[in-house]
Amino acid sequence: MNYIFFVVKAALEDFRRNKTRTFLTSLGILIGVFAVVMLTALQLGLKKYINDQFAALGKSTLFVVPGKILSGGSFNATSALASIKFDNRDLLSLKRLKEIKEISPIFSKQTTAKSEKKSEDSTILFASEAFFDINGFKIQKGRFFDKTDIDKKAKVVVLGPKIAEKLFGTIEAAIDQKVAANSVNFTVIGITESKGGGGFGGPDYDSYMFAPYTAGFIFNPAKNYSRFTIKFDESYSVFQVKEAIKKELLKRYDEDSFSIIEPGDILSAVNSIFGVLNIVLVAIASISLLVGGIGIMNIMFVTVSDKTKEIGVRRAIGARKKDILVQFIIESTILSIFGGFLGLFLSFIGTLIVQKFFPAYIDTSSVILALGVSSAIGIIFGVLPAKKAADLEPVEAIRYE
Amino acid sequence: MIKFRNVWKIYKLDGGIEYQALKGVNLEIKEGEFVSITGPSGSGKSTLMHLIGLLDKPTKGEIFINGKKVTYLKDDQLSTLRNEFVGFVFQQFNLIPKLNVLENILLPTIYARKKLKYDPKKKALDLLKKFGLGGKERSYPNKISGGQQQRVAILRALIMEPKLILADEPTGNLDSKTGVEIMNLLKALNEKEGITVVLVTHEADIAAYGKRMIRIKDGKITKS
Repeated sequence: MNYIFFVVKAALEDFRRNKTRTFLTSLGILIGVFAVVMLTALQLGLKKYINDQFAALGKSTLFVVPGKILSGGSFNATSALASIKFDNRDLLSLKRLKEIKEISPIFSKQTTAKSEKKSEDSTILFASEAFFDINGFKIQKGRFFDKTDIDKKAKVVVLGPKIAEKLFGTIEAAIDQKVAANSVNFTVIGITESKGGGGFGGPDYDSYMFAPYTAGFIFNPAKNYSRFTIKFDESYSVFQVKEAIKKELLKRYDEDSFSIIEPGDILSAVNSIFGVLNIVLVAIASISLLVGGIGIMNIMFVTVSDKTKEIGVRRAIGARKKDILVQFIIESTILSIFGGFLGLFLSFIGTLIVQKFFPAYIDTSSVILALGVSSAIGIIFGVLPAKKAADLEPVEAIRYE
Repeated sequence: MIKFRNVWKIYKLDGGIEYQALKGVNLEIKEGEFVSITGPSGSGKSTLMHLIGLLDKPTKGEIFINGKKVTYLKDDQLSTLRNEFVGFVFQQFNLIPKLNVLENILLPTIYARKKLKYDPKKKALDLLKKFGLGGKERSYPNKISGGQQQRVAILRALIMEPKLILADEPTGNLDSKTGVEIMNLLKALNEKEGITVVLVTHEADIAAYGKRMIRIKDGKITKS
């Protein structure tokens, strides 16, 4: 213990006397640790955001989409293009299934929404009254459209809070006003509560408009649906429900022309993309940490030369080879951990700044990893110089001027 | 205490030339002696000192310490012996600059393999007081005078209570007045504490402090 104290104290005193050299040497490690902690924080934040969005959908939700989108957990873009189109026959046959509690057909249209004063680019999403419940929407003002509106093909619209404010200034002012989408007038009957976010990881529902699908046929004379959103009866398993839907749809289509997707499937596909991202991050970080390690090794070789005489003196007063070896490895490890701490400190500051516009966060495992890796680098890249120091002949070292 | 029997030290130079630094040296130093080793530069006295201090190994011949043959000991065993048996005093003092006076004196104790019978810190502070360096324990070597540095180096050599002090030109970097002080100190250690002192010097007046003189020339002892 006494020995370690002496070595650490001597090393720290050395660093204090060579501040610039110490800082420059640990810079490589600093950058490496900063890169890996910062990028991991961004990645974790994004992943958490996406996971939260999916969590809002609930367990008993399924999507039915045309084409074979997901195969083996990853997106398959080519087969998503060439695909069938669902229509009212599919809706009616699925509605009859006892496993399905609620179902909403969905199609949407990019449009320019116009109020009396303003116009905004937006998306109008046509769905049934079940859509709001399935996706966990809450009303802030007014009401959702209902079964009667669907049956009457009512030209009513529910607005997301963002688009409502953009078109009418305030949410209160929007109710009962008219919004024109491609010259078709819709009456605003309700404003949803904010779903938050937007921009990445999912649609920005706050800027959407929602209208009865029956009213949307004006824009969609073929009456095709681009997908179904389903809430199923939880007394059945996901597997049972998927099999029932599949059996029903196979009556009309072949197996490769549609997909039944659980939110979990999408999530695992997203997470597999993050897995790849993670490997890239680790590769980048490894390179900068390697460069940092070589920098430390280089300086340690210089230090060993500088201290040849000191090594000789220590050997003369009784230090064994092992003592010299440990001394220099501790020195390089302190140097490396110092860089690690600086990098960590910078990434804490960086994360605090980024958090203002991105949900980044640092978890304990990346802190432990950063410090673990930097101490490992100190030890690994310190071994060669320390070995050189330990193997110096005492008589050669003490004669060295 | 120290015995050399037909000790040779031959260096291999570039181009296969051999240089014989010591040519069959026989010598004996008894416990409690104060021996000066003198000789011109290149005579082999440094080589002799490194062999006595167990910093180097002979090419041929045998070295005994307290009747035990040390010629073929392993590196770790030699380190332990240097730690416990010898105290070195160098011309350049060779204190570790980033350790303070007290830590420099304690340095040999951190490498000690045996359990010390005393509290090293207390002993170091006592020694500092006794040698007129009280209050300097927290100073760094570059903040004290050459004479004080050499005294700290002597205390570092004494902390392990060695049987032998090996002083290599201990006054070489000091003015003559301070040099005399250091020599009187070594003399007192020899006379009062009974520590064996081996002094290597090329200065005749310094060598005169020794009770016995060993003169070496061209790798051979000419007078002892």
